Amino acid sequence: MKRGLLKLIALIIAASLTAAGCTPKETSGSGSRIAIAEQYGLAYAPLQIVKELKLLEKNLPGTVVEWKQLGNTAAIREAMLAGEVDAGFMAIPPFLIGWDKGMPWKIACGLSKSPVGLVTNREEIRSLRDFGDKDRIAVPQPGSVQHILLSMACEKELGDPHKLDNQLVTLAHPEGMSALLSGRDITAHFTAPPYLMKELAEPGMHEVLNGRQAMGGDFTFIAGVTTAAFHDKDPRAYKAFVRSIQEAIDYINNNREKAAAILAEAYKMPEAELLSYLLMEDAAYTTVVEGIEPFAQFMERNGYISKVPGELNEIVWEDVHDENP
Amino acid sequence: MMRIHKSIWFVLFLSLWELLARSGRFSPLVFPPLAAVFKALFHALASGELLQETGFSILLILEGLLVGAVLALLLGMASSLSPLLRSFTEALAALAHPLPGIALLPVIILWLGTGRASILFIIIHSVLWPMLLNVMTGFRAVPKVLAETGRNFGVRGARLFLEVYVPASLPYLLAGLRIAWARAWRALISAEMIFGAVGGKGGLGWYIFKQRVFMDTAGMFSALIVIILIGILVEEVIFERVEAATIRKWGMTDQ
Repeated sequence: MKRGLLKLIALIIAASLTAAGCTPKETSGSGSRIAIAEQYGLAYAPLQIVKELKLLEKNLPGTVVEWKQLGNTAAIREAMLAGEVDAGFMAIPPFLIGWDKGMPWKIACGLSKSPVGLVTNREEIRSLRDFGDKDRIAVPQPGSVQHILLSMACEKELGDPHKLDNQLVTLAHPEGMSALLSGRDITAHFTAPPYLMKELAEPGMHEVLNGRQAMGGDFTFIAGVTTAAFHDKDPRAYKAFVRSIQEAIDYINNNREKAAAILAEAYKMPEAELLSYLLMEDAAYTTVVEGIEPFAQFMERNGYISKVPGELNEIVWEDVHDENP
Repeated sequence: MMRIHKSIWFVLFLSLWELLARSGRFSPLVFPPLAAVFKALFHALASGELLQETGFSILLILEGLLVGAVLALLLGMASSLSPLLRSFTEALAALAHPLPGIALLPVIILWLGTGRASILFIIIHSVLWPMLLNVMTGFRAVPKVLAETGRNFGVRGARLFLEVYVPASLPYLLAGLRIAWARAWRALISAEMIFGAVGGKGGLGWYIFKQRVFMDTAGMFSALIVIILIGILVEEVIFERVEAATIRKWGMTDQ
């Protein structure tokens, strides 16, 4: 009995030491495989084009591309930290939170600007001022771009960025939409397309605030972020990745009808509806990155991150087009 | 002896953890050293935040356990009164018992919204069915002679249940309560991880989720430690004591 126990202990220690001795999975930089993580929504449309037109395979022959759709930014961040994903797409605030905590990653390109908005089912709510104690606002998660935009608007309009924090409820977009439409405790939802349009199409719904008002200008909604390992070890793959995104964006901007047809199928939406989204004023696909500075400054001022990037190249790779309003 | 063995294992686990954390193989964002975890635990406790969240979770689960257990007892009593009611509760349990509470969540959000009531509903759901099955089995296992003796002494109705059936089936009831607790505790943490108030209270599961989004790995582990401690406290201390003071003292079980 005793000896069995000792043997078992020895075995466990040996096993864990071997496990510790193994290097984490080497995925990036081999040139044979790129893993890309995205979330769901029209803001990620250029990635659908990269997939459908096989742009990465064209720009980097012999590559196997692995696409992952993950439920939230935290999952993408964790997958990149574990070395399972080379490039991830997310909004600027969650990127900054990771950068602040020491994630070895930088922004490689912008992907999209998008209309985002706070939709309510209560007729009497016309501005943030009209929210009462009983109202509940759904956002995807704390620290998400929706949460940060709402806080920015609260700071501007109500003088306190945390004014509505105690009334926020975390719900993924689909659950947030069904909670809002069910008309129970959730009275408003901060969301993005296609949920934004679906909600506004329902009777009795209206928009209280949009992203541009909250930010006070334009900003990149989704950006492409790659790990340092991927960027450093295989510059050819990195360049091919950025070029593919650029080509997909050019394709959408130059062939709206054709792009709408491809995307309508991918998103299971009517083609006309998709085309009208592509033509919307606030929707734009571009690799230019906008709005890092105002996000960073606001987040640092309110304790979401501990420092502001000193030089832009601390957080973006070379050749990234940055514009600050 | 068992206790000493167990503590040796704990020390071993902890040293192994520290060894791995210090091996330099992993980023501290993946595998934080113990010192960072305990520091995070200390800060979260000192600021009162973790205690508040823990209190929120415990209060919810006690409420759910109480309501679920009482409901199970009532349904159990009803079903031992008539075969019709018994077939009804059995059919109900057969339908609902295999459903994990989390699977019901999207429906519950539609019905009850996203507040405390929804989590309470999930807890009651996880408590009620295992508890009910144990209550029914327990009541059926009560020797007829005990019930008849009770009746001969003029004990009837609710008193018969409380004074004869409940004590006579206590081993079953306690076993049911143990399963119910374990299920409810897991359901609670998972439900809290799915929705909660960003600034307000949302319980331990919510606390973990918040640490996750803000990438505080050490903080995440500190909440896990609290969950483990509560689990040990309830299963090894509270249930042990209750069993020692009742069914073991009364000679109903030899374990």
